[in-house]
Amino acid sequence: MNNIIEFNNVTYNYSSEDADYIVLKDFNLNIKKGSFTVILGHNGSGKSTLAKLMNGLYKPQSGSVLVNGINTLDEELDLKVKSTVGMVFQNPDNQIVASVVEEDVAFGPENLGLPQEEIRQRVDSALKTVNMYEHKNDMPHKLSGGQKQRIAIAGVIAMLPECIVLDEPTAMLDPKGRQDVIDTIYKLNKEHGITIVLITHFMEQAKYADRVLVLNNGEITADGTPIEVFSKPEFLKNSGLDIPQTTELIFELAKKGLNFKNGIISVDDTANAIAAALRK
Amino acid sequence: MSFLEVKNLTYTYSKNTPFFNDAVEDVSFSVEKGEILAIVGHTGSGKSTLVQHLNGLIKPTKGEILFCGQNIWNNEKNISSIRSKIGLVFQYPEYQLFEETVFKDIAFGPKNLGFSEQEINESVLNSAKLVGISQEYFNKSPFDLSGGEKRRVAIAGVLAMKPQVIIFDEPTAGLDPIGRNNILNIIKNYKKEHNATVIMVTHSMEDVALLADKVLVMNNGKKAMFGTPKEIFSDRNKLLSVGLDVPLITNVLLKLNELGFNFESNIITVDEAVNAIINCKGGADNA
Repeated sequence: MNNIIEFNNVTYNYSSEDADYIVLKDFNLNIKKGSFTVILGHNGSGKSTLAKLMNGLYKPQSGSVLVNGINTLDEELDLKVKSTVGMVFQNPDNQIVASVVEEDVAFGPENLGLPQEEIRQRVDSALKTVNMYEHKNDMPHKLSGGQKQRIAIAGVIAMLPECIVLDEPTAMLDPKGRQDVIDTIYKLNKEHGITIVLITHFMEQAKYADRVLVLNNGEITADGTPIEVFSKPEFLKNSGLDIPQTTELIFELAKKGLNFKNGIISVDDTANAIAAALRK
Repeated sequence: MSFLEVKNLTYTYSKNTPFFNDAVEDVSFSVEKGEILAIVGHTGSGKSTLVQHLNGLIKPTKGEILFCGQNIWNNEKNISSIRSKIGLVFQYPEYQLFEETVFKDIAFGPKNLGFSEQEINESVLNSAKLVGISQEYFNKSPFDLSGGEKRRVAIAGVLAMKPQVIIFDEPTAGLDPIGRNNILNIIKNYKKEHNATVIMVTHSMEDVALLADKVLVMNNGKKAMFGTPKEIFSDRNKLLSVGLDVPLITNVLLKLNELGFNFESNIITVDEAVNAIINCKGGADNA
């Protein structure tokens, strides 16, 4: 089995007093094991709903979501699903439950009823992975937003998930905190083989992914490598997304007659490409 | 005389206890009528504490705040009139809505300032229009709106008091690009219509480059730099040392200079960069 998550013809509605809002309709998507997927989309595009369907926090009204082949509608295997796919949310303050960092990280494993030594070992290892081991005895409210978010990630890692879904984990962080969290996520994927689904507004974070999806009104409107997706800046703008300044620069220069290959994102690649074009 | 001037401002948390801590230390700067001042700095650098002084929410431990030359704490009983002239929009203002209807929420400030019925109606209509909230929303509960709409209603509530200085603490945090552009346009339009002064705390160097006339860089409660965006962004090493960076576009040109080109260090927007690179290309072609 190659896919860790499979959406088969999923439909999901919100109902309120006035009307039903269809968020997803006949939605299909496969997430490969070990992959790093970034999902982009403006507010209200259905990103967060999609995330919560991935580990059974929301259940589809029709169709099915399979996690390692297990249907998320199967109540008996719900714990199995949630320990396979961990979730990290936007606001770090809403995700921390204990008054000491290591106790917070231990919360999940303790609830699994694991032996003491196993919990100790998992907590230490998770804190080391997110570079927060030296803060294990600190009080979470004394930490910065980025540090708190890494504690939240450590709490998820301590459950030994195969996949982590992160719903705008850096939206409330400053640039330094943002970069620390992104570096941590990247490391989990590359060094620990954990499948990552990252939902974000920050386009430059897409460069870390091996697959980028653009979601608009509950539909996937683009699906490809970062280079493929970012080579269509007009399309991204029309989808209500921002493009990185680097991509915009290349696009504007190309309009004025300089020649580049498309979809360049990083600062170094951009500078190298411009240097080559100027020296032609 | 400057429009708004901060002189040697110091604020100490938990003063006279063993836990005392200088959140703001000896900060001075000034801003003129109609200018946009951006305040940047990493988390915990004292930005939010600093701006809460500017409309008298916090009283400085030392130093003074002069508005049109008058110390705002000269007449302590009068401090609420300062708050009508210097408005403050907090971080995540959408969590501060509380009235039954959108109209009442926007009207709350003007009402408290003793505006007449007609003035209230007028200012609510104007500020709702400015933030793009249509009159159909006036009788709705603010809690039934989307996150972006809530934020705009909250901003309208401050604009309705027609402040001469308006302070925004991270107005675009957590918004998507459309929401962000909305808010930035509201700020620009209010400034233009009222020749108001805008003070904006932000993490986005790209927004600073596009909008600001002046930039105050805070680090550990102290003023680290003060100047125009071009002046600030031409010293990348100093910015890096306080945990910040220049806009992405400036980094591309610095990298090009490392590769042997000779671009000016004060290019901070995409348009400027496109022009500079095309000129460079033209120069090379003609040579």
